[in-house]
Amino acid sequence: MISDFGYILLFIISGLVLLGVMLLVAKFLRPDNPNEEKLSTYESGEDPMGNAQIQFNIRFYIVALIFVLFEVELLFLFPWAVVFGNEELIAQTNGAWGWFAMAEMTVFIGILILGLAYAWAKGYLDWVRPKQQIPEIKSPVPADMYKQVNDRYGSK
Amino acid sequence: MYPIVLLSFFGIVTLFLGFSKSKNILLPATLLFLIIALAGNFLEWNKGPLLYFYDMLRVDNVTLAFNGIILLSAFMIFAISGGFQDNPDSEPAEYFGLMLFSLVGALMMVGFQHLIMLFIGVEILSVAMYVLTGSNKRNLRSNEAALKYFLMGAFATGFMLFGITLLYGATGSFKLEQIQGFASNMQVGSESYILYAGLLLLLIGMLFKVSAAPFHFWTPDVYEGAPTIFTTFMSTVVKTAGFAALFRLLSGSFTGVYGFWWIVIAAIAVLTLLVGNIGATSQNSFKRMLAYSGISHAGYLLIALTALSKPSQNAIIFYSLAYSLSTICAFGVLMLVSKEKTIGGQPNEYYDAFNGLAKQNPLLAFVLTVSMLSLAGIPLTAGFWGKFFIFTSAAERGIIWITVIAVLMSTVGIYYYFRVIISSYLKEGDLVKIRVAPFYKVILVLATFLTILFGLAPGIFEGLI
Repeated sequence: MISDFGYILLFIISGLVLLGVMLLVAKFLRPDNPNEEKLSTYESGEDPMGNAQIQFNIRFYIVALIFVLFEVELLFLFPWAVVFGNEELIAQTNGAWGWFAMAEMTVFIGILILGLAYAWAKGYLDWVRPKQQIPEIKSPVPADMYKQVNDRYGSK
Repeated sequence: MYPIVLLSFFGIVTLFLGFSKSKNILLPATLLFLIIALAGNFLEWNKGPLLYFYDMLRVDNVTLAFNGIILLSAFMIFAISGGFQDNPDSEPAEYFGLMLFSLVGALMMVGFQHLIMLFIGVEILSVAMYVLTGSNKRNLRSNEAALKYFLMGAFATGFMLFGITLLYGATGSFKLEQIQGFASNMQVGSESYILYAGLLLLLIGMLFKVSAAPFHFWTPDVYEGAPTIFTTFMSTVVKTAGFAALFRLLSGSFTGVYGFWWIVIAAIAVLTLLVGNIGATSQNSFKRMLAYSGISHAGYLLIALTALSKPSQNAIIFYSLAYSLSTICAFGVLMLVSKEKTIGGQPNEYYDAFNGLAKQNPLLAFVLTVSMLSLAGIPLTAGFWGKFFIFTSAAERGIIWITVIAVLMSTVGIYYYFRVIISSYLKEGDLVKIRVAPFYKVILVLATFLTILFGLAPGIFEGLI
């Protein structure tokens, strides 16, 4: 008799064995004549250049933060849903259980929403934009002179 | 239990109060919240042990006393912060909100009855403190301190969590009394080793939070780098909560294996005393000296843990109160004096900043002197009786040698505590009269008064707990 953890161990072992066997079989069956092009990281793709450790755009940080916020919220909702819909408990308490569980989750989500609202109102969720540089041209010719030229000759 | 719920709610309210146009409403509102929490705390006085949150939180008079000390120190620190008006970059609403949330964590640590509650409390407290340490965003030192504190704190939390896991593995429960039941009737075998390993790892995590040697390396840098007001918060509230949690953990679960852990705690206490006191003598910065002094006071409190009796519990309560009061005074005066002169854009926190303080500012010099005397443990101050109670409780338990070391080390303490008194009274300096806000003055005088009052009548609260 094996426990549930035993099954997981069996899965891990059989996964490793299967992978090993398949790679081994492939090794014997496939033709093997590599060249430089085939061995590059992305075959028939672009050549990678430079280091992978570059500065990421700060925008990803906000995306990740919002993702974590809602992810954790969802993670809590799943186990809650199971307990919330527990028929036995609802029957025992004459339906009060459902309202109780509902209220608890409302408080939890309410606090999270308040936090989100705070961050939103403070402008922490705003997309970081690079400041546009508007080119300035210092021309000795005044702008309205161009207009006059266009007015005089443009219509013809 | 009331303050936990109230403070969680008030923390959110404080955040949103920050949106209001008038900046002056924040500080009075927060102080009012703390008074309400303090009143709510003592509503349950003498109601006997009460259990809340599915028996995960226990409220009795000891819990309430620790809560009272924590909330009182928080009140004083909030009051001397002055609402962070002087710094235009600051976000007072967020600081106050975070401090209120961290108080929730501290109160959970004091009253936990379930290891998960302890863990959550420690995390709520620590995460808020990491952020507050780095709150001075434009200051490199503050950023460095926050990063150091966060990395090391996260590491210590890992130890703690692993310890809790092993304890659960050995005993099959997170509840203190069930662990106690298991540990008292334990046979020597594989389970006992898992329990010992779990206890040690959990202790490492907790000792890190109270900055006991050899887990103290972060303390001087973090205390120095953090804005002084948050350093005060860290060295009073966090330390009190940490020792309350340690005492509850050891007395609630591990009296059965006292023979195993007391020597560990005793060795760490001696090491902490040596590192703290000897480290403090070689500092030139007053703030850094106070960080080392915080380490050495952790050592004295650890001695009370080795005794682990009813008197030692009262000694911890008294010592925490005395230590918090004098530390708030010391940092309060430091904040005022260090602003007078700056070195390279930073407030001058060296000893020589206090030169000639007494000539123009006799009140500040007096407050500083009383707090230093109390920290050094000179009679007629609260600090003396704190040390006295701790030493007697250890002696009653028959642990004499550690008391001898502690007394020796407290004489070393006199050297570095008196340096600042000498600076302010005997040395010449060009300090002008420092303008002190009336409320600030009231808090400093109140803390000094309480220090002297407890020094003259240490038995004032005796028999209450």
